[in-house]
Amino acid sequence: MVYLITLLTIQSFAAIISFIAGAVVVAVVLFLISTSSKEEEKTVAKKKVYKLRGRYFFVLSLSIIVVLLITLRLLPYERFQGEPDETVTVVAMQWMWKMDKGTTDKSPAEFMGANEITLPSNKKIRFVVTSSDVNHSFGIYNSDGVLVTQTQAMPQYNNTLEHVFPEKGEYHILCMEYCGVPHGLMVGKIHIN
Amino acid sequence: MLQISSDEIKKQRKLVITWGVTFLIAFPLLIVLGLLMRLNQGEVFDLGMDTFYVLMTLHGLGMAGVLYSMAFAALWYLISTRYAKLNLATGYVVYFLILLGVAGLTIATLIGKFGAGWYLLYPLPFKGTFWPGWATGLSIISLLILGVAWLVGIIHLIYALAKEFGGFTNLLGWQYLRKKEVDRELPPIVMITTVSLVPGVIAFLAGAVFLIMFLMQHLEPSLAFDPLLLKNLIFFFGHTLVNITLYCCIGWVYALLPEYTGRPWKTDKIVVYSWNATFFFILFAYFHHLYMDFVQPVGFQYAGQIASYMSAIPATAITMFGVIAQLYHSKVKWGVIPLAFLFGTAGWAIGGFSAVVDSTIAANKVLHNTLWVPAHFHTYMLGGVVLFILGFLFYLSHTKEEQEKDKSAKIGLWVFVIAVHSFIAFFYRGGLRSIPRRYADYKGIPIEKTHETGVVLAKYATIFIWLILIALLIMYMSIIIRLMKKKATPQPVSAKNG
Repeated sequence: MVYLITLLTIQSFAAIISFIAGAVVVAVVLFLISTSSKEEEKTVAKKKVYKLRGRYFFVLSLSIIVVLLITLRLLPYERFQGEPDETVTVVAMQWMWKMDKGTTDKSPAEFMGANEITLPSNKKIRFVVTSSDVNHSFGIYNSDGVLVTQTQAMPQYNNTLEHVFPEKGEYHILCMEYCGVPHGLMVGKIHIN
Repeated sequence: MLQISSDEIKKQRKLVITWGVTFLIAFPLLIVLGLLMRLNQGEVFDLGMDTFYVLMTLHGLGMAGVLYSMAFAALWYLISTRYAKLNLATGYVVYFLILLGVAGLTIATLIGKFGAGWYLLYPLPFKGTFWPGWATGLSIISLLILGVAWLVGIIHLIYALAKEFGGFTNLLGWQYLRKKEVDRELPPIVMITTVSLVPGVIAFLAGAVFLIMFLMQHLEPSLAFDPLLLKNLIFFFGHTLVNITLYCCIGWVYALLPEYTGRPWKTDKIVVYSWNATFFFILFAYFHHLYMDFVQPVGFQYAGQIASYMSAIPATAITMFGVIAQLYHSKVKWGVIPLAFLFGTAGWAIGGFSAVVDSTIAANKVLHNTLWVPAHFHTYMLGGVVLFILGFLFYLSHTKEEQEKDKSAKIGLWVFVIAVHSFIAFFYRGGLRSIPRRYADYKGIPIEKTHETGVVLAKYATIFIWLILIALLIMYMSIIIRLMKKKATPQPVSAKNG
């Protein structure tokens, strides 16, 4: 079971559980419509429903606690143990990305970088992301079109995103926060070798 | 004991019908904007990117404003005709101020080309814009007018209720926690109105603060504010507005559904605990909009996920189980009103679940600002709030017998529900395939698979938007014909509901 879960992407896991939840809701709706012609004394019907509610409340509360305990340990804010193998400064601007290895003392507007960068696979990469104008979002897509991670690029703040690219190949950066008319054209590239 | 004259009821009914007709006109027009946006994304035609963002801004602001205003108007009507005396002139002032605000926003977007999105994320309205400065100024002022209108309406309503029920804490049902027997029963709709609208006051004040800051920046461009602070204010305002819209609708479900099932739905200790908890969850859940701002204090991020998860407990265990207890083996006649309320509750449940998925920080990392987000909020707005509002409008136009026999209205409702969930399924699929939201089109995406998927999903989704419009037309004819014939009379006030 655990092995199966590790094979799933977050997206497919979200799809499966949401589909199950949707199916349960549809089943309840159809059940209520199809069985409502039966008449039951309201206190008896209420008692039955509230008995079920008691169990539901217990299961739901327990599930919430368990899921919170698991998922709140999987935060994207976690830092690597020790120093990263590579640090990349990323500055977003309307409507391109400026990237370069290392940190910088320059202001976001003065910082010079390229829209493309080459980085190693299976290494700890730290992206220090900011913006020189408005809010953007640094979304990294793999070659299969799957969004693998993201962080906001916000003026006056540095968001630190750490990521390991497990596979070689081309990754694309799409802007995930509306930043003006050419928002959909704000594309960058990461080559992983 | 409160006495409300039939003349007063008649006048309040006229006001709510004015609201209803305004909603019935504005709503499909705003849907058409959405249709144009999806057709553009589907590459059926090319609107131009600037026009797309103008339409997106008006669609977002318009839908949020129209749905909240209609939900508020419905509560106003039910409260004013059953539970407290509300000043009719204040009701009309609120209505006309909202019309003024909407007119301003329409001019700013369609003529001024203002296209910063509903959320005007600071400092976007002031940097790299393609619209003139006056359009930004007019948008800010129009939103301020809307905020003032909503605040005036809420404060009057809550004040009138507090006066009638002997104090504010009584509106929250605290007397049920102090005593075994209460002197006067508190109708659930009164408590839900309070729990929904008081966070609204705080949110609209937050909205007023950021709009005044925007106005200052507009007048003095050299000013600069903290973008993280502004982001918190904006999302607190926007999230709360949308969230309380749904809770307002639940208020009248508690009040009206028992009239069709014949089963009372009263306030008790559990209901009080549940809705008081909801009060806090409404205030703290908005943090989930800022998960991808890694500099936000991590405690807020935890609060966002915990509040979002916890809000599922009162929503499902109390209210949704309450709906089930109302309907299970009740021998209810499935007229269009109980059907609309049941389907609306289902839409709320499905949309709520996918919202909880997205409110998981670990999942938000790959779902944030993909089409998963419009998927979940369309589910509970279009598949929830709109159905509750339609149910209310049927309540205004149809007698109990009429709503049971009206086959065309029921067909319209079934088609609407199927079309809505089919339309939204394309958003969910897009979210799972990482299609980014707020893209005018997908032509600039260099990943061929993502581009093609985005186009195909957008194009085919439009079929169901047409179907939604047809279903609405069927229901509209049913509502408008009955309203015009003035045959319909409101259902008698149920003694069980106060």
